[in-house]
Amino acid sequence: MKNYFTFLKKELLESVRTYKMFILLTVFLLLGIMNPLIAKLTPEIVEMAMPAGMDITVAAPTAMDSWLQFYKNVGQIGVFVIVLVLSGMLSAELSKGTLINLLTKGLSRSAVIFAKYTYMILMWTAGYALSYLVTWGYTVFLFPKDNASNVLLSAFFLWVFGVFLLAVLMLGAVLSGNSYGGLLITGGVFVICMLLNMFPAVHKFNPLTLGSDNVALIQNTVKPGAFFPAVGVAGVIVVLAIAGSVMLFRKKQL
Amino acid sequence: MGILEIDKLYKKFGSHEVIRGLDMDIPEHSIFGFVGQNGAGKTTTMKMVLGLLKPDSGTIKVCGERVTYGETRTNHYLGYLPDVPEFYDYMTPMEYLRLCGEITGLPKEKIRKKSEELLSLVGLENHKRKITGFSRGMKQRLGIAQALLNEPRLLICDEPTSALDPIGRKEILDILSAIKGKTTVIFSTHILSDVERICDHVAILNRGQLTLSGSLAEIKMQYRHNGYIIEFAGEKEASEFAGIEALKRPAVEVSRDRAVVTVMISDRNVGGQFLISLLSEKRMVPMKFEIMEPTLESLFTEAVK
Repeated sequence: MKNYFTFLKKELLESVRTYKMFILLTVFLLLGIMNPLIAKLTPEIVEMAMPAGMDITVAAPTAMDSWLQFYKNVGQIGVFVIVLVLSGMLSAELSKGTLINLLTKGLSRSAVIFAKYTYMILMWTAGYALSYLVTWGYTVFLFPKDNASNVLLSAFFLWVFGVFLLAVLMLGAVLSGNSYGGLLITGGVFVICMLLNMFPAVHKFNPLTLGSDNVALIQNTVKPGAFFPAVGVAGVIVVLAIAGSVMLFRKKQL
Repeated sequence: MGILEIDKLYKKFGSHEVIRGLDMDIPEHSIFGFVGQNGAGKTTTMKMVLGLLKPDSGTIKVCGERVTYGETRTNHYLGYLPDVPEFYDYMTPMEYLRLCGEITGLPKEKIRKKSEELLSLVGLENHKRKITGFSRGMKQRLGIAQALLNEPRLLICDEPTSALDPIGRKEILDILSAIKGKTTVIFSTHILSDVERICDHVAILNRGQLTLSGSLAEIKMQYRHNGYIIEFAGEKEASEFAGIEALKRPAVEVSRDRAVVTVMISDRNVGGQFLISLLSEKRMVPMKFEIMEPTLESLFTEAVK
């Protein structure tokens, strides 16, 4: 347990000193600022781009457009960036040999996996929260009259999706031992989830739902209960993936 | 009982057998030179001792406790210096040692004291900057400091001097000799002069087995040829001695290179005494009279044949 906190502290220090944390937070901050602005400015951009004399009426933007941007940007670019930035964190230590030194000092292998996964979740949570708060603040400021329902709950579901994908990334990294393998496996799981979504019966249980139906939830066309099966499935996969990572990593020849 | 006992160890990678029935026993308080060619299996053996690789069969005991693969209990007795130690570049030496100390579970105050002590032992006490800019030699020295942090009973060094310049090598060897009294050191290398300089025990690994093992003095005794090197002040004297009738017999082989005469005697009953009495008979005083020692190089070449 002490090993876990020591190693987590080291991960955080690493993140700060190698500017990873700075880069991630900046990306998420920019994404957060972008969402409401794009929503607000879209009609004007469309108007400017139109040739003179042509007239297209674009509906006045609402808070909904802002949230639409949030789930599009953070749910895609944000998730992609965090997976990409964190993909090398185990393999780099294995290939460089920095981890071997600490393992020979009695650092337990499960502490490594738990601390690294905790760090991943912390980074995702921090970036996500930042992006969310900025989007929320601007949205309230720019579209004060609109109200949206289930905003927080909806955001929580996308967060769960991120946690799910990072667990897959962790397992992928342990399985393959290099960063490309981890990325490939995570990408593969993402694609499988997308393919599975073609079957309406699976949709309810598919973790992908947590990152794709959020706007519908805000619009109140879907009830929160519709997400619960997918949250359950994601939770089970997270537990299995992390337990699997620990077991595999303990057996790994270094 | 030795501090490290290895019994019938086998390990293969795929179909390639690296270690084939290795037996080894390392006595406490020795500096043990573990010699072998590149690819002989030195690193593999060490990694198995550390529980980083899984042996196919055989047992390894550290301080009487059995090493189990994937567990790290026995590692508390050990310090390990990898061949190319890699650290977290963004830390300072002091921070890195603190991290190591916390992982080992040392109390805070002890980590601080021990770190300062070790950094001054390896000559890095004035380096407050980050590890990024460190040279190979400095990293190697920091490697020794981190390996000694938990006061290990056995220090395992994997080719600590191979990649270093002469000064860096000398520094590492000096540090290793300095800690000799407190810690047993295993030291893998293929640089024989390093072994000769600091080791008291040596084992030669060839094709996955030990072909030669024991204390350096014993081995040299065992492989000593009955040979003598006699150096004279001038060539004239030397050739005079080389031409003595008494030396012209089948069991004796004499060769001369300028003022140095080498005498090899294959008859074990005839020793140096015979040459000394010859010298006194001829009223000759050599500049140097030396018993020929087998060089580690010749032993090594013989062992890996």
